[in-house]
Amino acid sequence: MQTLKAEKKSISSNNDQELVNLLEIEDLSVHLGGNQILKNINMVVKKGHIHAVIGPNGAGKTTLMRSIMGGMPHQGIIRFLFRSNSKIGYVPQLLEFDHSVPITVCDFVSIMLQDKPIFLSGSGSIRKKIVETLAITESEHLIDRLIGGLSGGEFRRVLLAQALEPLPEILLLDEPASNIDEYGAMLFEQMLNRLREEHGLTILMVGHDIKMILRMADRVTSINRRVMFDGTPDELQGPGKVDELFNGSMAISTENMEG
Amino acid sequence: MESLYELIGGWATQGYLPAIFEHTFMIRGMLAAILIGPLLGGIGTVVVTKKLSFFTQTIGNGALSGVAIGLLFGEPVEGTYAGLYGFCLIVALLMTFVKNRSRLSNDTVIGVVLAQVLGFGIFMLVVVTNNFNIHQVEGILFGSLITLTDNDLIALGLASMIVGVIFCLIFNKIMLVGFNPILAKARGLRPVFLEYTFVVLMTIVVVASLKLIGALLVLVLIVVPAAGAQNIVSNLRQFVWVSIVFSTISTSVGLLLSAIFPIPSGAVIVLVSSLIFYGTLVLRPLFGKSGVQQGQA
Repeated sequence: MQTLKAEKKSISSNNDQELVNLLEIEDLSVHLGGNQILKNINMVVKKGHIHAVIGPNGAGKTTLMRSIMGGMPHQGIIRFLFRSNSKIGYVPQLLEFDHSVPITVCDFVSIMLQDKPIFLSGSGSIRKKIVETLAITESEHLIDRLIGGLSGGEFRRVLLAQALEPLPEILLLDEPASNIDEYGAMLFEQMLNRLREEHGLTILMVGHDIKMILRMADRVTSINRRVMFDGTPDELQGPGKVDELFNGSMAISTENMEG
Repeated sequence: MESLYELIGGWATQGYLPAIFEHTFMIRGMLAAILIGPLLGGIGTVVVTKKLSFFTQTIGNGALSGVAIGLLFGEPVEGTYAGLYGFCLIVALLMTFVKNRSRLSNDTVIGVVLAQVLGFGIFMLVVVTNNFNIHQVEGILFGSLITLTDNDLIALGLASMIVGVIFCLIFNKIMLVGFNPILAKARGLRPVFLEYTFVVLMTIVVVASLKLIGALLVLVLIVVPAAGAQNIVSNLRQFVWVSIVFSTISTSVGLLLSAIFPIPSGAVIVLVSSLIFYGTLVLRPLFGKSGVQQGQA
């Protein structure tokens, strides 16, 4: 963990002021079924940053993510400062399907990379492309495994691989630390740090895993329907600070945070 | 149509086909079975993967009201298509709309509408059956080979062409939307549009199979072949093909048996598909599947 921390610090040593904005959110509000889910959210994601959005369950994190992806009616402005919407890579938290249906990693990646229905295309034609895609996250050996049978860490790497093909301008990670063991999480973090160095990726991650976020993020926005905190992870380090933000709904002791 | 029936009937007379195919209704039924089988099996794979079984049943239940409404507006008893398609589409689209717009779970929305549609259907039937024969409605509920007309067959042919083409065009996309709508959006798809398109396809298939299989049993033919297929296949491509083969065998063999034994076609078709399903359960270990699925992720 110590090495990871050191690595992070070296990457993020650039002065924040010099970085350009990649994503700007102004006065974002979302109402759903008569409830206000998000209220006047303002935040900016800088190019090259790992930006974390944290908050307790039900704080509106997923709604924020959906709004950014354009899948949610909202008020306010969400502005991407690059050309096309297609350059967003998205790593979902989970895939929703009946897990007794046999869907292989190959099937899953193919349906995203080709229009031709999977049952009308030969297995060989797109396989090379899929192997190349999986290789980005060193997961090409998983190609014939069933999605439902992957470990948390393997699953996350497959999801990350698809998000990087084609290479996006910004990577959105939804709850990257869920359903994953300590070792898997560490591998995943190393991979993210490496990808970010190699490709200059900007990463926006949403989650409630404070440990991972304090280790990795350059900037943290905490929300609970509205913005509760916006600053660097160091500013969050004070005793009781995290508890306060999470309204006691998610008590995390400082020992836990040290990992 | 007549010349086609004569041609096929001729084969039966000459002994190339079982003698039962000398009857026009049997030829019609078999053509319908071969047209609808692959659609049910294909659509079924998506329904099972997306856990939409009871959504489909709700559309089927809507058929009761659909028929009654069609009759009220003066459609002939043997083909209340406007009423059926109209009402079932409204129910299906409305359910999708409510599900997308409210915070109710899918299961709750379906539960509410399933009950309402059934109640409304029975109410409508009582109102309408004052002036027509209830036995016609039994055909809608359980399937009735005898009531199948040339027009039904033409409608079925059209439906299978339209559904078949659109299904191939959107299969990958609708699967991805099912896995994760935000991911689908990130990959440049329009999840809401795709979802509504699939709902329309499902409705067309359900309504098109009413006469052969019946409103109460159509769910079985959508779910069971796909469920049987998933017992023995090892990837998505095999899943679709095996499901299509199972459903087509079920409809055609079931129909043949229903002509020999005097049981409604829908019931026999369901029995055949169930036999196949239990067969796959027994054969499962041969395809390298253990009894218990290890599922996570």
